[in-house]
Amino acid sequence: MPRRRQVELVLLGIVVFLPVLVRDLALLDRLGGYFLLAIFAMSVDLIWGYGGMFTFGHAAFFGGGGYVVAILTTRAGWLLPLPLVVAVAAAIMGSCLLAWTLSHLVLSGKLALRGVEFAVVTLAVAVMAERIATAGGSVTGGQNGILTDARLGIPGVISLHRGTGFYVLAAVVAIISYLLLRRYVQSRRGLVLKGVRSNEHRVSLLGYEVARIKREAFVISAGVAALAGSIYYIQFGIIAPRSVGVAASTLVLLWVVLGGRGTLIGPAIGAIVLPHLTNSLSSGSLLNTWLVIVGVILVLLIILLPSGIFGFLAGDE
Amino acid sequence: MSLLNVARVTKSFSGFKAVDDLSLSIKSGEVRGLIGSNGAGKSTLLHLIYGQLAPDHGTIEYRNIDVTKSSAGDRARLGIGLVYQVANVFDDLSVEQNLRLGAMPKDLGASPASEESAIEKTLTMIELEHAAKTSVGQLSHGQRQWLEMGMVLLTKPSLLLLDEPTSGMTRSESVRTARLLRDLREAGAIESMLVVEHNIEFIELVSDEVTVMHRGSVLAQGTIEQIKKDDQVRAAYLGRLH
Repeated sequence: MPRRRQVELVLLGIVVFLPVLVRDLALLDRLGGYFLLAIFAMSVDLIWGYGGMFTFGHAAFFGGGGYVVAILTTRAGWLLPLPLVVAVAAAIMGSCLLAWTLSHLVLSGKLALRGVEFAVVTLAVAVMAERIATAGGSVTGGQNGILTDARLGIPGVISLHRGTGFYVLAAVVAIISYLLLRRYVQSRRGLVLKGVRSNEHRVSLLGYEVARIKREAFVISAGVAALAGSIYYIQFGIIAPRSVGVAASTLVLLWVVLGGRGTLIGPAIGAIVLPHLTNSLSSGSLLNTWLVIVGVILVLLIILLPSGIFGFLAGDE
Repeated sequence: MSLLNVARVTKSFSGFKAVDDLSLSIKSGEVRGLIGSNGAGKSTLLHLIYGQLAPDHGTIEYRNIDVTKSSAGDRARLGIGLVYQVANVFDDLSVEQNLRLGAMPKDLGASPASEESAIEKTLTMIELEHAAKTSVGQLSHGQRQWLEMGMVLLTKPSLLLLDEPTSGMTRSESVRTARLLRDLREAGAIESMLVVEHNIEFIELVSDEVTVMHRGSVLAQGTIEQIKKDDQVRAAYLGRLH
């Protein structure tokens, strides 16, 4: 059995049996949150790790999804508030539409942007998103953001908002997202996308429409990020402008690098390990030094494991 | 019937005419060699035909369609393929994945049932069947060249342009490459070829006719025997090789 499959099965086993072993509901909440961050990391890996499109602004889609759901479920007015499921669907569609528009502007035609130019545009998107969220007045809640009272689950039937319920919901969404993204990257479209990362010019000279395949991956990635973000922030209970900004967009890049770019499962591991490390060290006696410790660990891991944690587990080192 | 028609094409770089009022026709089924000294304009002409450069003047027709202003991607979709002097392949993909990128329908629609067998046949033809799962980064220079040829051939081009395909190859690799091209032609895998090459022995092995370029223009054209006897060619090019 290939090493990749072995790692997948071990991780699946851990995800399935963890709620049996862990009785701490707060920890289950945190783990559920990590799974959603893992989806966010995989969405970035799709376009950066597989498509070579380095992005500095993907939190605009992850946090944007959270904002759309928060606005649609908490604000009153014409048709509002909407049921949570409808709001999540709207968030995904809104993100896809934004990504579709953006990708047509910057990834198409003779002026299509690549490399650093593309990264700068995505950086500008994150900056703008944070500004809009801050200046959005009563709609976005300004600097304070939005406190949400929506609850995950089916009212009166099942609650998936806390503890085991939330853990199971997040794990199922993460596993399905992983399987769908893996199916995509292993498909013909995924092969062309990998070709774009490796040698975009050659892909074009073979007769493929490069812009189309890049746009497609970008839109899928934005939709997946919005799905994860909308559930994450509903459960978290609050969304603020930082959630769509540059800081959040940069953090996810660290998870991707740490886990192993271009592997899907690696970034998912990175999105669980690093936030958990941060959470564990940022309390108690390490209150003043945890950031330094995380930084040192991060630098050491990146130097010692250039292919990331997954590359190490899969025997690439 | 003419497959490619280059009519009075000129291309200048900062006032220097790399290709100067040049006309050239390639018939369907023909393999044409294109030789000339360094700076004669051979590679520039190839890139003009492929659409990576735009001519200042003149027209290029492929199958009676004016492609002068078409992009390289559009020309590839019409059936023109280019094999580069330095193999232009996908280094971090496997040999089999490189070939699949050549074989797959470019609109990403359903693949024909023959795709797998075409890939397997090409792997055998380019003698890389043992390395199908190997990363391209681990191949030798010659193997990379053959892989690119295989990849481009799987796009089923009617006109294959080869830019110094034996550059950097050993003599035995060059002979194997010539044999490969002849086999492909005999198997009907390629309709026509235009081969830019310095290696006269290779040109002799693969070409029906030869065009000699000198200072951006056509100096002579004919069979290799006619070219070898041409005094102008001997003075301008062949004489330097001996």
